[in-house]
Parts: sequence; C-alpha cells; structure tokens
Amino acid sequence: MAIVIFFIAAAMAVAGAVGVVSFREPIRSVLSLVVVMLALSILFLLLSAQFVFVVQIIVYAGAVMVLFLFVIALFGPTRRLAKTQLRFQSWLSALFVLALLGLIYSMLQGIQYRQPDKGTDLSAFGTVQSIAVGLFTTYLYPFELTSILLLVAAIGAIYLSRKKIDDL
Amino acid sequence: MSTSQLALAVLLLPAAGAILLAGRGWRLPRIVTVIVGPGVVWASFAATLMLFFGQAKGDFTYWTWIKSGTFDVPFNLLVDNLSIFMCLVITGVGALIVTYSVGYMEHEDDPSYARFFTYMDVFIFSMLLLVLAGNFVFLIVGWALVGLSSYLLIGFWYQRRSAVLAARKAFVMNVIGDVGMILGAFVIFVTYHAVTYGAVFAQLKSGTFCPPPGQLTQCLHIVGGDSSSLELAAFLLLVGAVAKSAQLPLHTWLPDAMEGPTPVSALIHAATMVTAGVYLIGRMHPIYDIATYAHNTVAIVGAVTALFAATIAIVQTDIKRVLAYSTMSQIGYMFLAVGIGAYAAGFFHLLAHAFFKALLFMAAGNVIHAMHDEQDMRKFGGLFRQLPRTSWSFLIGSLALVGVIPLVGFFSKEQILGAAFSKPDDSLALAVWVVGVVTALITGFYTGRMWWMAFGGKPSPERPVAVPHEARLVMMVPVLILAALSVVGGFIQTRALGIGPSQVSDFLASAVGPVRWEENAGAIVIGLATMVLAALLFLAAYRWYVARTWTPWSSRLPWAQRLLERKYYFDEIYDAAFVRPMDGLADVGLRDIEKPVFDGAVVGTGRAAVAGASSLSLTQSGYFRNYVLVFVGGAVVAAVLLLIRASS
Amino acid sequence: MSTLEIGGSQLDAAWFLLLGGVLFAIGTVGVLVRRNPLVILISIELMLNAVNLTLIVFSRQLQNMEGQLFALMSMTVAAAEAVVGLAILVDIFHVRDVEDIDELSEMKG
Repeated sequence: MAIVIFFIAAAMAVAGAVGVVSFREPIRSVLSLVVVMLALSILFLLLSAQFVFVVQIIVYAGAVMVLFLFVIALFGPTRRLAKTQLRFQSWLSALFVLALLGLIYSMLQGIQYRQPDKGTDLSAFGTVQSIAVGLFTTYLYPFELTSILLLVAAIGAIYLSRKKIDDL
Repeated sequence: MSTSQLALAVLLLPAAGAILLAGRGWRLPRIVTVIVGPGVVWASFAATLMLFFGQAKGDFTYWTWIKSGTFDVPFNLLVDNLSIFMCLVITGVGALIVTYSVGYMEHEDDPSYARFFTYMDVFIFSMLLLVLAGNFVFLIVGWALVGLSSYLLIGFWYQRRSAVLAARKAFVMNVIGDVGMILGAFVIFVTYHAVTYGAVFAQLKSGTFCPPPGQLTQCLHIVGGDSSSLELAAFLLLVGAVAKSAQLPLHTWLPDAMEGPTPVSALIHAATMVTAGVYLIGRMHPIYDIATYAHNTVAIVGAVTALFAATIAIVQTDIKRVLAYSTMSQIGYMFLAVGIGAYAAGFFHLLAHAFFKALLFMAAGNVIHAMHDEQDMRKFGGLFRQLPRTSWSFLIGSLALVGVIPLVGFFSKEQILGAAFSKPDDSLALAVWVVGVVTALITGFYTGRMWWMAFGGKPSPERPVAVPHEARLVMMVPVLILAALSVVGGFIQTRALGIGPSQVSDFLASAVGPVRWEENAGAIVIGLATMVLAALLFLAAYRWYVARTWTPWSSRLPWAQRLLERKYYFDEIYDAAFVRPMDGLADVGLRDIEKPVFDGAVVGTGRAAVAGASSLSLTQSGYFRNYVLVFVGGAVVAAVLLLIRASS
Repeated sequence: MSTLEIGGSQLDAAWFLLLGGVLFAIGTVGVLVRRNPLVILISIELMLNAVNLTLIVFSRQLQNMEGQLFALMSMTVAAAEAVVGLAILVDIFHVRDVEDIDELSEMKG
C-alpha cells in the first residue's frame, strides 16, 4: 500500500516539476509548483513527519506560493517573446545537469547508511511535541536566529516596496 | 684639559660651528654667522696652540667603530708633532682666511652667506680629521670629506654653469685618487692585519732593519710580506696624493677650481687641501723609506709637475690662474722634497707656502674686489699708486714665492734645493735638483710678469674701475698679518744658509725622523746664485710686459705659445680618452639597458597586470544565467573530485 | 540499513533520495534555461523542496529528529528569501519592464 502511495506521489512531483520549468506563463509554473509541494507533503507524511507535512501545506504552499501569485498578478501576463539567446547556455546546461544526475545516481550506488541512532522515542517521532522539544532546548539558538532572519526579511521587504518619490 | 680632550676639541669645534650654522636652514641672523663662522676656527687654533705649547703627544682612542674579526677600526686621534704642525697651519691660516671672507663675501644674501661659512667649517673639520686620524680608515673618511667640501665650495655659486662643471671635474678627479687611496689601505690591511698607524708602523719597524743616517743603502726587508706589497701600497697611496695635490697627471682640476670664491682658492687650493698629499707621504714615511721605487716616483712626479706648471703660468692672463699654476708648481717642490727623503724641508716649504700663497690669493682677492670682480690682468695696470697696501703685500708675497732673501720662501725653497744637491750617492736627487733650479728661474719670470702687469706701468684703458679703493679692514688685516709672517717666518729655520736655528726640523724630528744628511757648502753658494738670477728675471719681466722693449714670445714662437695656452693639451687628451668614451657608454646604457630592461620591466609589469585584468573581466559577462552555469559546473567538478577521493 | 518500514511494507530509502535528486536536477535546469525572473525564483523554490525531502528521508532513516528540524529551518529561510527576492523584482519592475533576465546585464566587465 505504501509503495503505491509513494509512486503516485513521486509521479505527481516529477510531473509538476517538469511543468514548473516548461510552461511559458509564470502563473502556470506557480501552480505546478503547488502540485509538487502537495505531492511532497504526502511523502513527508509517509515518512512519519506529521508536523512538517502540515507546515509544508499551510506555510509553504499556502503562504509563500500565494505571495508568488500576488506578484505574478502584479506583473501581468508575459507580453513579449524572448529574443536574445546566449550561445552554449542550453547545451552546457544539459551537459551539467546530466552530469549532476549521473553523479547523484552513482553516489546512491555506493551509499553506506549509518546505523540508526539508539534511544529515540519512536512513539513521539515526528510529533509536535518532539519538534517543540528540539526547537526550544537543543536548537534554541538557531530558532531565535531564524526569527531574527524573518524579521530582517520583513523589514527589508517593507523598505524595498515603499513609495518612492524619485527613481531610486 | 687633558690632551685627549684638547685634541677632540680641536677637531670638533669647527664641526659644531658648521652644525650650528646649518641647523636652522641658514636662517640665522648675519651677526651670528659672522661670529660663529670664523670664531670656531679661532677657538680650534687656540686649542691647537695649547697642544703645541704643552708638547702634547699620544694616540687616543675614543670609541670603537667597527670590530669584525681582525678588522678592528677604532676612532683614534694621533697627536704627534707632525699632526700638531699640520693643525697649526690649518687652523692658523684657516682662521685668517675665514675672517677675511667675512668681508669678501659680504655681498651675498644671508642664507648664502651662512652656507659659505658652513662649508668652510666643514672643510676645516674634514682637513683636521685627515691629519689627526690615527688609522687608515678615518684618514680615508677625512680625505673623502675634504673632497666633498672642495666640491661644495668650488660650486658655491652654483647658478654659474662653469662653476658647477669645475666642481664636478674636481670631484671626479679626487674620486680617482680616493680609489687609489682605498686600494692602498686594503693592501696594507691585508699585509699587516691592522689599520691603525701604530700597529702597522710597529710591524714595519720590527720587521726591517734600516741603517743609521748617513749611509743610504737599501733597508733590509725581513718584514712579513716582502717589499713588493709595500711598493704596491705605496704606489696606490701615491695615486691618492697626486689627485688631491693636483700633481701630474691628475692636475687638470686645479685651474678650473678657481671658479670658486677667492677665499676658497686661498684656503683649499693653496694652503691646506692640496698639501694633503704631502702630509700623506710624510705620515707614511716608514712605508716610503722601504718602498724605494714608489719613493723615487714621488720625487719625479714632483719635479716634473713643478717645471710643467711653471711653464704654463707664463701665459696665463687670469690672475688667479697664475696663482693656481704657481701652487701646482710649489707643491711639486714639496713632493720633490719628501720624495728624496728630506721630509722636514718639504714641510717647512708647506708652511712657508701656506703663508705667502694665502697672502697672494687674499691680496689678489682685494684687487679683484676693487676692480669689481675683474680678474684679467691685462685690464689692470698701474695699481701700485692707487692701492699701496695691497701692492706692497702682493710684492712681499711675490718675492717670497720667487725665494728672495730674507723672506720665508728663500729659506724653505733653498733648503729643499740644497738637500737635493747635497744628498750623497743619489743621482735622482741631482736630476731633480736641476729641474728645481730651472723651475725657480721660471718662477721668477712669471711672478714678475704677474706683478708688473697688475701693479706696474700705466693703467690699462680697459680698466673697469678708474679709481679703486683699498679693501676694508676685515679684509686687509689678515693680508697684513700674513705679509708679516712671510717676512719673519724664515728665521725659525735658517738651515739653508748652513747656520742658525732649525726649529722646524727639530720639531718634526720626532715624527718624521731626523735630517739625514748635511747640506754642503756648494749648495749654499749655488742657492744664493739661483736666487739672484731669479730676482733678475723678475725685474726683466718689466721689459717684456710693461716697457715692451723686447718682442713678446707669442710672435717669436707661436707654436710654443699655443702649447702653453692649451696647457699641453691635457684637457683635450683626457676629454677624448676618458670623457667621451664614458659619455658614449652612458648613452648606450640609457638607450639599450635602462629603457628596454628597467623601464620595460616596470611598465611591462603594469601592462601585464592590465592585460590580465582585461582578459579576466571577459568572464564577467553580466548575464545571470552564465554565472549560475559556472556555479553548477563548479559543483559538478567538486562532486566528481569528492567521488574520486572517496573511491580511491 | 537502507530499507524503511513504512505502513507495513518495506521501502528502500534510495528511491526517495533518487526522487529528491531528480527534482533537484529539474530545478537546476529551470534556473539555467528559463529567462523569466519569476520562473527562476520558482525553480529555486523547487530545488529547496527537493533538499527538504532529502532531509526528511534521512531523519526517518536515522530515527533522529534533527533532519526534520533542519527542514523546518530551511522552509523558514526559503520563505524569507522568496520575500526579499520578490520585493527586489517588484522594485526593478517599477522602473523597467523586465521580461528577460538577460536584459539585466549592466554588471558587465
């Protein structure tokens, strides 16, 4: 059963990804990405990451993607056709990406997994409770820093989008 | 004060004066310069007198400068009768001349005025260092500083191109001499492993055996190297002496040096610097007593130069040039004397020459001052009635130069000639004696010519000043003092007449050895005869140049006139043989080495950097996608490398 | 051990990782090839998601919560970065009508 779910979700994800890079209209790319995120969230759930599953849907697909949608709405549809073409760009890109894929594959071939850590409470694995424990005790410092990062980003965004009198 | 402190005072007082005057960038008020400039020299003279009357003696080490293995160079001053003698001449005559120049240089503006006295004090200090130094290294230091001071003072009026060229010429020739000196010092060091006079001469003395005076066979050489290294050292040191004293063949700088102000000519190019060579030979007499070839060369150089310079002096029209060639000639006499071993005679003539030559230069300076800086004697004439004091002083100086009894010049010159004539078993001494006698006669002639042209006869129609005034007191008094010294100075050493005191040779005996042979009676007679002939020639010059009753040389022997006027073409020969090739070499260096190699390297580095930068900037295409491509490419490469490393 | 026990069946962790790798590669292609700046940003989000997947997989395989916590942080940072990037794009768009990122090449040389 789990295998079936995995393959369906995987297929959705790949299809969505291809759609992201292929569609000419950015709005369609965004919607494809939403599909990818939903598929990934199913996979997260499959991997016993309940909290991350929910966060992925609510925050990532729900907030960040909506932000993208707003900006696309601001930009409007694509008007002009692309003109300039950098030579070699597409060829070299294909080359590098294939190389990258090949590398990942060969790495996976020789991968040697570490033994699972002993002593984790498997009944609380992936729950809100264990996330909270981790965030507020061992990883308090990164947690606080991340909040500051968010604050800075918010301030930056507000500043960048203020009403300008002259062209800055 | 102890002797060592006094010696240091003698040396350092002029240096202190120079530093004080130069310290504020020559912005001191003139009255300070007038007091400090000559004042420190008088103070140094006073200290020297104290050494003299205190019969001071000693080798004082104040400080070790370099100590490296066996190369041990102390800063030591050797106070013996020879150095005290030289210091008396330098500070005494120097003080008079520096005082004189207070008046002579009065037309300069304040900074130049202070600059002049700074340089004069530096010179006095350097010369004192030269004669007081107790080792070869500081001798060379003093030697080089004296050359520097000469350069600064000859080129004092540096706005004049001729002065700058003359200063450069003097300096270059001095440097040639310096090289010889330094190489000589090297040879000495290598042979004796010491630089102090005491150490070197002690080794010389202990290793050789010189027979007692009266028997002049060769000294036996049992010294550590054989005498060939000493001969080499002696010749090299002689090169230095020849350059500094303007003897043949390194003499061409001295006439040009007359571009400097007259007090400079008086001090440096008559009384002191040019006598440094004589001092050197005297100080190094233990070396020269053994190195006979070099010793004979000294005498030959001196005799030839004396004659040579005297002949050129006959045709000179600039009053200072006559005196310059005369100096060259008289120093030739001194070299002659020390070259045959008559050291005391040579130094006595040094003293006498300092008196009368400084007198002549300063009196000439008075004339030049009165004639508004005119130096051509053909434009003078008839000054005797208008400038009586200067004329009488000049006459006394001239007669001393000719060697007329009872002036000091007679006693000193005749002592030299008598010693040359009387030296037993030495044919060279006899040969140089003949040269010396001929030169004395020529000296009489050119000196007479000079005096009559300038002071005798009627005023020339080209006179720039019709009614000249005598110089002011500060310029007149030193002249009169030197005139008086020229009159009475001879009576401290009347050995030339075979009787009477011999203060100089007695005084110097402890430093240069006793007089080694007696003058024979024949020498005295011939000497007096020479004097009479020379005096007659002095008077005869009147006929040629004032009364014009006899045809001049120039029409009878035009080729001779030209030869002498061109100074035997020495300048032309040196120019073609040395100056032009060096200029060519320098041009080649500039064009083919400096520009392509060095400039090329520097500019080329810049250009290479720019080229590298511009080729690298091609990677900055400005396109975002290119940059990402590079990222990804780099990531791929890194991953591959990791994979390889992990698998190996 | 690479097999994960999920809902009764055995799944190989390698599959998940491969999926993550493929998504990452596709995202790279998008960044390199597409010229619309918005699509480039979206592709970057895709890459970040792929990485998150990898993190979660390893967290499950090692039975360690750190992976999930890191994925959470990654999501936060991705959000912040998207915000700022979009604000900059909006800024540029106010001045000039950007359709093609190759037009923004003033930093040449």
